[in-house]
Amino acid sequence: MTMHCPLEQLVALREADAHTEPGHAAAREHLADCAGCRAEADRLEQRVARLKALPVLIPGRDRYAELESRLVRERRVRRARWAGVGGLATAAAIVGILLVQDMFRPAVADGSQQLAQVMAESRSLEGELTRLDPDGRAMDLVTAQVAGQLQTRIAALDERLQSAALPDAGRPTDDQLIELWRERVGLMDALVDVHLTGASQVGL
Amino acid sequence: MADSYLLLNADTVLAGVRAGDPGAFERLYRAFEAPAFNLARRMCRTTEDAEDVLQEAFYEVHRSLAQYRGDGSLWGWVRTITASKALMRLRRNKYRDTDELTDDLHPGRPEDTGLRMDLETALQRLSDTARSVVWLHDVEGYTHEEIAAMMGRSASFSKSQLARAHVKLRAWLGEEAKV
Repeated sequence: MTMHCPLEQLVALREADAHTEPGHAAAREHLADCAGCRAEADRLEQRVARLKALPVLIPGRDRYAELESRLVRERRVRRARWAGVGGLATAAAIVGILLVQDMFRPAVADGSQQLAQVMAESRSLEGELTRLDPDGRAMDLVTAQVAGQLQTRIAALDERLQSAALPDAGRPTDDQLIELWRERVGLMDALVDVHLTGASQVGL
Repeated sequence: MADSYLLLNADTVLAGVRAGDPGAFERLYRAFEAPAFNLARRMCRTTEDAEDVLQEAFYEVHRSLAQYRGDGSLWGWVRTITASKALMRLRRNKYRDTDELTDDLHPGRPEDTGLRMDLETALQRLSDTARSVVWLHDVEGYTHEEIAAMMGRSASFSKSQLARAHVKLRAWLGEEAKV
């Protein structure tokens, strides 16, 4: 009875390193002499050729906009974070100076305490947002858009806070600063809510 | 596979993407969208999974573009990222691979008797691992060593998966030798 090459061996013989592997030389010799094994090897080659000739499958829907939105959102978050960190540091330093100046005034304004309080609230919400790690979460398109809008408004507000803190802008009143910081707290609060809601919707 | 315009202008497109030009990234996406999706779809079981893989792959491409040194072709780089993402998706889904691996070498199972499938159906019927190995090796041209590295397995595992898959395909396609 003639022994034939098993298909596993024929598959292995197609490899580039098959010439150097032990046992394959004998299999090659057998292949040269055995019409049955040659036919099997041909069928294998044809099968591989048919695999290569399978049609290219194309996506049923265009999801580039979704990808682009994700990338834009990330860019905004990065930009807002940097602007926020730098801007807030500057604003906080200026406000700190103003508060110190106020300490030496005869009458302590009640507004200073309110300002310190509202700034602390803002910092607390920043911390909460960092803990939520919105960058590492999956987000649906609507959530991403709402979050993006809020981040844009926060970035704009930070710019106003920075401008208000500039020396040539004239010293802003405590009431004006409190109003700006309160607005920031409101926006931050909404942003945290959006990320919390979005996260619960996707089951995270 | 890849768009000829992009092959000629890969450097320009890359420079545009790195400079933050969204139009440049879209050109890159459009050039490789079809072959990348095809690869993902051939490896994954569902269209939805393949679409998600495509998203993840291009997100990774955008994120890692700074690390691309241009050693190989841009498509080769995108393709490897796509294949890796598809394998990650398969691992996450954990389709019934373990069952398939244990009964791989039984082309004559009762339910296969008289069964003759077309190649698409037969390919889909393979386990996720076997189908991925067949596609990556026989169609995309990856070596067993490269496949092993992507899968976190040995080259012998890849070789064995390929051989077993061909035994199954031969049986399902009704190509058994008549000797």
